[in-house]
Amino acid sequence: MISVENISKSFGEVTAVDNVSLQAPDGKITALLGANGAGKTTSMRMIYALIKPEGGQVLVDGINTHEDPVAARARMGVLPDARGLYKRLTARENIVYFGRLQGMKEAKIKERCEELVDRLGMGAFIDRKTEGFSQGQRVKVAIARALIHDPQNILLDEPTNGLDVMSTRAIRRFLKEQRALGKCILFSSHVMQEVSAVCDEITIIDGGRIVASGTESQLRDKTGSDNLEDAFVSLVGGEKLV
Amino acid sequence: MNLKSLKTVFFKEVLENARDKRTVMSSIVMGALFGPILMVIIMNTTIKMQQDKAEQKLEVPVINQAGAAHLMDFLSAQDVVLQELKGSPEEAIKNKDHDVVLAISDDFAEDFSQGRPAKVMLYHDGSAKGAAKVSVNRLRSLLNAYDRSIGTQRLQLRGISPNLTNVVMIEQHDQATKESRGAMLLTVLPYFLIMGLFMGSMYLAIDTTAGEKERKSLEPLFLNPVKRDTVLAGKLAATVAFGLLTLVLTIVAFKLTLPWYPFEKLGMRFNMGMQVMLIMLLVLAPLALLAGAIQTIIAAFAHSYREAQTYVGLVLIVPMIPSMLLMFMPIKEQLWMMAVPILGQNLVINELMRGDVVGWDAIGLAIAGTLIVGLALAWIAVKLYNREKMLFTD
Repeated sequence: MISVENISKSFGEVTAVDNVSLQAPDGKITALLGANGAGKTTSMRMIYALIKPEGGQVLVDGINTHEDPVAARARMGVLPDARGLYKRLTARENIVYFGRLQGMKEAKIKERCEELVDRLGMGAFIDRKTEGFSQGQRVKVAIARALIHDPQNILLDEPTNGLDVMSTRAIRRFLKEQRALGKCILFSSHVMQEVSAVCDEITIIDGGRIVASGTESQLRDKTGSDNLEDAFVSLVGGEKLV
Repeated sequence: MNLKSLKTVFFKEVLENARDKRTVMSSIVMGALFGPILMVIIMNTTIKMQQDKAEQKLEVPVINQAGAAHLMDFLSAQDVVLQELKGSPEEAIKNKDHDVVLAISDDFAEDFSQGRPAKVMLYHDGSAKGAAKVSVNRLRSLLNAYDRSIGTQRLQLRGISPNLTNVVMIEQHDQATKESRGAMLLTVLPYFLIMGLFMGSMYLAIDTTAGEKERKSLEPLFLNPVKRDTVLAGKLAATVAFGLLTLVLTIVAFKLTLPWYPFEKLGMRFNMGMQVMLIMLLVLAPLALLAGAIQTIIAAFAHSYREAQTYVGLVLIVPMIPSMLLMFMPIKEQLWMMAVPILGQNLVINELMRGDVVGWDAIGLAIAGTLIVGLALAWIAVKLYNREKMLFTD
């Protein structure tokens, strides 16, 4: 369960995130939907305690992320915007490294690794060095690495960005399985179909502010649109001429 | 700081970088072998060139040979090959066609017969090095010998003892030992040892910080429930370990290349026993911490891997400064100097090579001084990564 209360962040003169609040309950997939540059990544970085918000607070299972970032991180599994893997290590070594940093026992890491290989379909490449991996293989390894400690809260920044249909479907299926296990899943995206396909709750961010939140049908009703894309465009103030 | 996490980071960095053949090649092998091999080559070729010049027949172009027939006979008798010169003597020296040119003045014969100083001109390049200097010195000493022999004959003809003109007799007592003569030539040794160590840790300092930032793996790494200080300390430990490994290899490489140094030809002796090697290692080891920390700090500020390489590469100049100072300025060693990082190491190693007994106070001070500065820099390097700006390339 993640609860974000009034966080803001500015870089120099630019206010990237302005007073953002949102709730991501357990057993639900919550989306942070916004256009490029709307403040998604900065919001996510504050939520997973990589950078400090200038005001407000973030609670992960009741733990304030800035009072106790280490304990909060132990309860989160994060796929950040940056997916960098260690290319001179095998996929398994990448995953095991993070397991150790999570403080897990070797036996537990091994067991959990096998489980993730199975669920994400990584059997063909788990013991290969990650240099030259396809985008889809890389994201799968990055997700496995982030979730090695089986965290209650899963945060993903544009998880299917740049993936083909098969990989996208595999990841959606995986997230739905996790939801069924009662996990709290928060993910940011700018892809309407994606959000439409997997998310229960949607929070729309634009220009660093939250402009609306609710289920997809609530958002459609509110704007009188028959699809999420139209609803989104109308909520962020129409099509701007760029 | 969590020791288990630190070890996890340390072993991962060591494993990852050991797999990169390029790192191993460039940092360790190059760092360790570059200095010893370069020194063997330079010393041997210099000695060989000087010896060749000294043993070869001296060839001297002479202008106006007819003006001093007696001198010419004398030089020929001393195995000098006299040559005609085409063009001006200035040109010949400038173009390095000849090391030295002798010109006989037009009044030579007349002055000579009248008992006045007869003038000869010696053209040479005073800034020339090595072998050219040998030719000039040989000719000059031959001319001096001629001057003395004629002078002595003239005095004897007039019934005066030539000893009257020898007012002062100089007896040289050179206090240089065989070891100290060797040390003169080896003043660059500490620099190569220190440079090896800097080169050894350079690649890791960049790869584990700027490299990781550029590959975008720093952000996911910092999302683990481990303090950033701990992660950085683990990385720094790996960097320092590579520096130390290179240092050990450099010392061993020097030991192994010693037989190829032309010590005997130079009449020198140079000793590098187990004890000397251990003291070298002990005194230089804290520098690995200092080098790794400085390099990590600099790499942290770079925006990309390439930028980091440029900046960190420049740091290689730093250890050169004390070595250069000591080479050109005869500094009288004082105990406090031992506490200055790099300078202290230079002084201790120079003393070791001269065969002097180095006091434990000097060794202790060199170790402590460098260790304190190194730890302070390491602390800065580790704390630097608590700043948000350090995390992203964008």
